[in-house]
Amino acid sequence: MSAETARKFQALEDQARNILNIFCTAHYEAVAPSIIQPADIFLDVVGEDLRNRTYVFTDPEGAELCLRPDLTVPTCRLHWQRYNSTSATRRYCYNGSAFRFQPTGSASTNPREFRQAGIEYFGSKQYEVAESEILALIIKTLKSVGLQDFEIRIGDVGIFDTLLNTLDIPARWRQRLKMQFCRPNAFRTALEELSSRPAAVLPGVPEDLIRDLSNAKSSTAEQIIFDYLGHHKIEFIGARTISEIAQNLTAMVEDAKRDPISVTTRELLEAYLDVEAPVRAAGARMRDLLQASGLSLSGALDIYDRRIKNFTAAGIDLSKLYFSANFGRRLEYYTGFVFEVHSPSIDADTPIAGGGRYDKLMRAVGATADVPAVGAMIHTERLLHVVEGNLL
Amino acid sequence: MNKNLVIGVPSKGRLSEQTCEAFAKVGLHILKIGSKRGYRGEIEGIINLEVSFISAAEIANSLITGRIHLGVIGEDLIREEIIGANDRVKFLRKLNFGHADVVVAVPDCWIDVRRMRDVESAAQTYRRHHHRRIRVATKYMNLTRQHFIHHGISDYRIVESLGATEGTPTSGKADMIVDITSTGETLKANNLRILDGNDGVILRSEANLVASNTIKWIPETREIENEILSQFDLK
Repeated sequence: MSAETARKFQALEDQARNILNIFCTAHYEAVAPSIIQPADIFLDVVGEDLRNRTYVFTDPEGAELCLRPDLTVPTCRLHWQRYNSTSATRRYCYNGSAFRFQPTGSASTNPREFRQAGIEYFGSKQYEVAESEILALIIKTLKSVGLQDFEIRIGDVGIFDTLLNTLDIPARWRQRLKMQFCRPNAFRTALEELSSRPAAVLPGVPEDLIRDLSNAKSSTAEQIIFDYLGHHKIEFIGARTISEIAQNLTAMVEDAKRDPISVTTRELLEAYLDVEAPVRAAGARMRDLLQASGLSLSGALDIYDRRIKNFTAAGIDLSKLYFSANFGRRLEYYTGFVFEVHSPSIDADTPIAGGGRYDKLMRAVGATADVPAVGAMIHTERLLHVVEGNLL
Repeated sequence: MNKNLVIGVPSKGRLSEQTCEAFAKVGLHILKIGSKRGYRGEIEGIINLEVSFISAAEIANSLITGRIHLGVIGEDLIREEIIGANDRVKFLRKLNFGHADVVVAVPDCWIDVRRMRDVESAAQTYRRHHHRRIRVATKYMNLTRQHFIHHGISDYRIVESLGATEGTPTSGKADMIVDITSTGETLKANNLRILDGNDGVILRSEANLVASNTIKWIPETREIENEILSQFDLK
């Protein structure tokens, strides 16, 4: 439990006040979104994986609600309810409780009720400038409440997406690899399959059906499936339509005809995911990789370089920054830049602060287009734990 | 201090009868104390043992909260209700009844879906067409989640279903299901098909005699546990 002693409660309160002061001075508006949130939005955004870490409950009228597992989504809702516009530019900050079930038990660095102090910056189209602003403000805040020794891991989910987009592979394969990016094991399996035996995507589908579909135009594919079901007396039930099934099956048949992903491409993807180095060295390494492969990925790498320049301009000490291509994989809603602040005095899986870009998140709360959004939050209990030592 | 060993036995239905039969077969006769509708009992000839007749779901809960030492319960419920089951309880003996599989089933007309991987690709098409995640009806929320994570699938939503789960694809409440089945007949009657091989079977379950690791064991209760186990092993 957080704040289990009066002393700890007071220390957290004091720290929170300091942090909020710094955020407000930087012109971030302090907001307090609702603690109880509709469960739907969270489950849609983060998927079922987080459900067993979220306190979901049903109210007397049957609505599915939850105790907010973070404050980013609630702040997006607040922003969207206020402005209902994809172009409103606003900066927000907050300090409030969030709730997550801890399967291995509540601990001082992983309490089930914890306080997040965070900032969100919506609507700015100066992407790298906004990212630098957020990172610089978090570093400044951490330092001013007493954090001295730390290291920052950065990543960029967008570079990997761009890399996949430049490869000459079927769209469905690309989609599959993108989806599996955040699950290293499943990703490895997918890459392994697609680069060795893509034809094996079809076991169990009757051969005569495959033959018929192979020669069919898309307009007749539906009829073929309709006839097939009728002939085999298979009842048609459920929300998926014949056209969906036809599309999916036709795409599978098409994909099976394609050559597997080449060894060169596979090695390039693996080499990219292995990149882990101080930011400048990482940039150079990525350029080398691409040059050797003959692919043009200059767009994504220009963004990377521009970001580094902006970091320097914002006064960020580059020597504390490491780039890791693998990083950002566990966090589904990020769409580009990601970072985490680590202290050597707590373990590597327990960052003190973290954040990044999530341009698609506003869609989950109602927006009809992407909204540029970048933000970050501090785990205040962990910060206090590191700054004050283990005396609480 | 109470030195009695407490064993939880299903209070109602087929599972309750089968438990008594299975115990009787190895010479352990479970008897009710007092009223036939009461919830307390004993095993003939074993002193310092109490039988507690409770509902199956409560047996899982009582094992981890340490209210009972031993319990008779289906593996499906243990795996579903207890996070980290392998550390918190010990599976002692399989009891050879209550056989049922927890399976993943889809409408038979989904001829493009035979494995979990195909579910993933169907889920993508589904999202484009229906603007929502594909829905899985189940009462096994944890088992479903683990199975889907294992196969790298995240683009789905669980619809909690406490009864008649196999009817949800037809009624439109869900698109596919995770449910328990022993013969598969009900699934077939509802135009559903189990996914191929291991992709379709999350767990092959049967009733188990299970010990709590949470409760405080003392030499006296261990002795009674051993007495019961030796009866099973004689057989």
